[in-house]
Amino acid sequence: MSDHKPNPKAATNRHADVLLPGLSCQRRAAVLSVLAGLIWPLQAAVVAWAIGGLVQGDAPSPWLAALGFAGLGGLRAALAYVAEAQAQLAAEAVITTARSALVAAEAKRAGDSPFGGAGSVAALGGEKLDLLAPYVTRYTPARARVVVLPLVILALAFWQSWAVGLVLVISGPLIPVFMALVGMAAKEASARQMAEVGTLNDFLVERLSALVDIRLLGAGPAVVQGFAAAAGDLRRRTIAVLAVAFLSSTVLELFAAIGVAMVAVYVGFSLLGALGFGAWGGALSAQAGIFLLLLAPDFYQPLRDLSVAWHDKAAADAVLDELAQHRGDPGTHLPGTGGVAARLPGPASLSLRGCRTPSGRVLPDMMIAPGERVALIGPSGSGKTSALRLMAGLDPGPVAVAGQPLTETNADAWRARLGWMPQAPHFLTGSLRHNLTLGRTDDLAAALETAAVQDVVGAMPQGLGTRLGETGAGLSGGEARRITLARALYGGPDVILADEPTADLDAATARAVTQGLLAQAKGVTLVVATHDPDLAAQMDRIIDLGAAL
Amino acid sequence: MTALWVIFRLILRDQRTAMLRGAALSVVVLAMGAALLGLSGWFITAAAAAGLAGTGAVFDVFRPSAMVRFLALGRAAARYGERMLTHDATLRALENLRLRVLTSHLAAPYRRIIRARGAQALNRLTADIDALDGVPLRLVLPAMAGLAVQVIVLVMLWLLVHPLVALWVVGGYVIGAAMVFIWMARVSIPLSRRAEVAAQAFRSRLIDLIRARRDLAVYGRLVAQAQAVQGAEARRLALRHRLDRAERQAGAALALVASAVAAGALGIGLMLVQQGQIAPAFAALGFFAALALAETLAPLRRTVSDLGRMADAARRVGRDLATATPAVAPARPLGKGADLRIDAVTLHRPGSPLPMLTDFSLHIRSGETVAVTGASGCGKSTLLLAIAGLHPVATGEIRIADIKLSDLPEADLRTHLTLLPQRSALMAGSVDQALRLAGPADDARLWQVLGAVQLDKVIAAKGGLGAQIGPRGEGLSGGEARRLALARALIRAPAVLLLDEPTEGLDDATAQAVLRGIRTILPDAAMLIAAHRPAETGFADQVISLR
Repeated sequence: MSDHKPNPKAATNRHADVLLPGLSCQRRAAVLSVLAGLIWPLQAAVVAWAIGGLVQGDAPSPWLAALGFAGLGGLRAALAYVAEAQAQLAAEAVITTARSALVAAEAKRAGDSPFGGAGSVAALGGEKLDLLAPYVTRYTPARARVVVLPLVILALAFWQSWAVGLVLVISGPLIPVFMALVGMAAKEASARQMAEVGTLNDFLVERLSALVDIRLLGAGPAVVQGFAAAAGDLRRRTIAVLAVAFLSSTVLELFAAIGVAMVAVYVGFSLLGALGFGAWGGALSAQAGIFLLLLAPDFYQPLRDLSVAWHDKAAADAVLDELAQHRGDPGTHLPGTGGVAARLPGPASLSLRGCRTPSGRVLPDMMIAPGERVALIGPSGSGKTSALRLMAGLDPGPVAVAGQPLTETNADAWRARLGWMPQAPHFLTGSLRHNLTLGRTDDLAAALETAAVQDVVGAMPQGLGTRLGETGAGLSGGEARRITLARALYGGPDVILADEPTADLDAATARAVTQGLLAQAKGVTLVVATHDPDLAAQMDRIIDLGAAL
Repeated sequence: MTALWVIFRLILRDQRTAMLRGAALSVVVLAMGAALLGLSGWFITAAAAAGLAGTGAVFDVFRPSAMVRFLALGRAAARYGERMLTHDATLRALENLRLRVLTSHLAAPYRRIIRARGAQALNRLTADIDALDGVPLRLVLPAMAGLAVQVIVLVMLWLLVHPLVALWVVGGYVIGAAMVFIWMARVSIPLSRRAEVAAQAFRSRLIDLIRARRDLAVYGRLVAQAQAVQGAEARRLALRHRLDRAERQAGAALALVASAVAAGALGIGLMLVQQGQIAPAFAALGFFAALALAETLAPLRRTVSDLGRMADAARRVGRDLATATPAVAPARPLGKGADLRIDAVTLHRPGSPLPMLTDFSLHIRSGETVAVTGASGCGKSTLLLAIAGLHPVATGEIRIADIKLSDLPEADLRTHLTLLPQRSALMAGSVDQALRLAGPADDARLWQVLGAVQLDKVIAAKGGLGAQIGPRGEGLSGGEARRLALARALIRAPAVLLLDEPTEGLDDATAQAVLRGIRTILPDAAMLIAAHRPAETGFADQVISLR
């Protein structure tokens, strides 16, 4: 378990796991797409029969030729359609499974993933996972076609003319060799570019969230200049990636063009009677010549399709690596599910014995009786917030609540009794009412009154219906804190845990919040973590975490 | 569709030469492709006929085969050049577009700035503009080049083969492609708009789940939130499924058009040969050219699937760009005595007609300090925002050095006035980078302002001006971050300094030392403080209570 060296084989296995859900659809898609590719030699045969017949003075039926060619074309389109449908089903299965797993994993974590912040995880779960679709829908069928179609066309070519077959045999294998070289260069270049895209996005997020400061400092032009430099850098790297990609496809096209030109020249001279070798038993017929000319480009086409899809594979590999990284560290599990539960029976008491903060600091043992009001004080980093999280069952630890150990099974029921006031509220996208009630049904007016926030609600443009954004737009720091208090009081909790309820507040608002907490807390167990001496003084007991070193 | 056209014109104006060269090269590529196949078909058939007629010895092989080689190699080279040119021009144009969007965000009204903060604006700036690369690369250039080549082929087939073949091939392709395109545009634009809404819902719900996971867990909402995320995903998946099906149908329709056109060219060619109107080699030419023209339809397939996303992105980006960006003029020096005068000002709450501050007047002279106090929500911060030009003044007038606020250009206003907002953001980087965001200053000056806010010892202990700060000011305590933001504001050396709760999170002794330090550094500034603690009100020359 302590082996942190990257293991390429394990990584490949994890990649395979992600792609597993759509496997049967992927196989069907590959088979159908090969079948669609096999129609083209038949269409070529119809054309060769028609035009070759004309040259030899026969009278091939125009209707038969046109209908034959169009009918086969229709069959090819139909097969391709069904193949794509299967491939898309496979892609949907792969992406949905990976996405659900990601959401479920995030809902199960006790804290943030070391993978990155909410933005990075949302980007991975959103647009980045979508990059798996081109890989599944294009790369896998293209690979199947590369395995089958060139061999079939080669056999047909040898059947008609060993010379043409030889041309294809010699030019064909050169392509994968060159492709491998170009592919390696492309992967490196695109990895560098991907990293740059990430950096540029981070750069932009920071600047966008600091727009007000930038504007107030008159730093707009300087910031725009800095961004222009970074964006220019990214463009140059992107062009470098594209140049390699375009070069690889140009080289492929050249090989194909040279191969087809050689076939055409050989066929032309044979038909003129200038070359007497290469065909089985005598001269090449006009039909065979036209047939070979139509087939030659399609000998190279699957390779060219694969080279286009190669970049889809590179992008998908990068996503799969990130996904493996996200899955790599499941972190501490949240005790319980975080779902709705009936209240845990028993007294509203709490005890922490032998608990530690996530950074390993030992917390003093504490026993809190039902209805007791306790202040946790101590300098920053002494574990006040960690202690509150342990009490709320948000981190696992040797905690007893309501006279019994807090476990995986009763954590939800215990939390159903809590009112919770975090230090930094995050408002959900939705109405103020939704942010207050969070789906619970109770008397909202009473909570608003106890928390004395009717004025805050009244001042919002649409009252309780006002939509709040990611940062609780429209609320000042004090207003946001008071709304969080109302949310904690709503639903009649019998234990309230509040983290720095009066920090950043002016004296009047701090008093209002303190009074709200105390008014509600008659008979209710109250634990506050605070720096505020006034608030601490109004509690029954003060526990100093800083003293317990 | 109009939005798409507007964006394309912007891109074209930006990169006209490169775009026109790229367009010319795409025509060359497609035309060479049609010529190559047509010529090869003609060459083989004519050679066969000559061989059978026994005239093989006098048949000119070299010119056609040299042409075939030239077209084959030339087309590959032209395609490489076309791709590099159009992609480079498009990326450059998009880069400028991104800069323009960032600039317009910087100049946007305060409320929009606040609303645009974070994930969504980022998404717009990256994903939307990325989606727009398809406008020149996959929509306008291929469509125009394809049409141009169709016209060229129409003329050539008319002259070389037969008008009937020419009309069938070009008419079939143009009408068929147009029908598929129009049908797809009608189906896919509304679908992809709805899919985008679902994707955004997925994104913001997932971000909510992650950022508020502990709150949601305590209130028993974590499971429901995870279900809401999955619900948005299910909706997106269903819409995406329909969109993919439509795209597949368009692909199949385009393949059928190509098959039918080539089959018709073959049939018509055979008929004309049997009627004795054309030679077999020219029937082959018509058929092979028809096959080659399928290449003009290839880009259409991806375009139609992206059309909705592009139209949506173009609409949003266009709306962002519609806000005028102010011209940046160098600041003019103000006259002596840059005092701040507020006359009978009324301010409304953001987005509501309710007044929060009525008929308020105040005069602050150069070198004077005034504190405003009042409960949270009484309008202190809004007053400061209004003076800084970030909140609309309903009635009344604000003057700085006797110039009306509304007459003061943005650059001048920022030079002479600085506001330290209640919450300020620090960005990742070194301490000197954080400070120099406010403008150029030498190291001595940086240490001087750090000293004024009692931060010099802290920063020295962290390793000096090169000490690194994490994203959002990580690595600094709340009080340290506050003082660094304050130091940053002091670098501006403004004539009018507005401070919103500047000493939040500091103990009384430090708070008083910091305020004294500010006054020492800026002895002549007119200072207005939104105050909520005795340390701040005690420092002011005058204290005004709002309501």
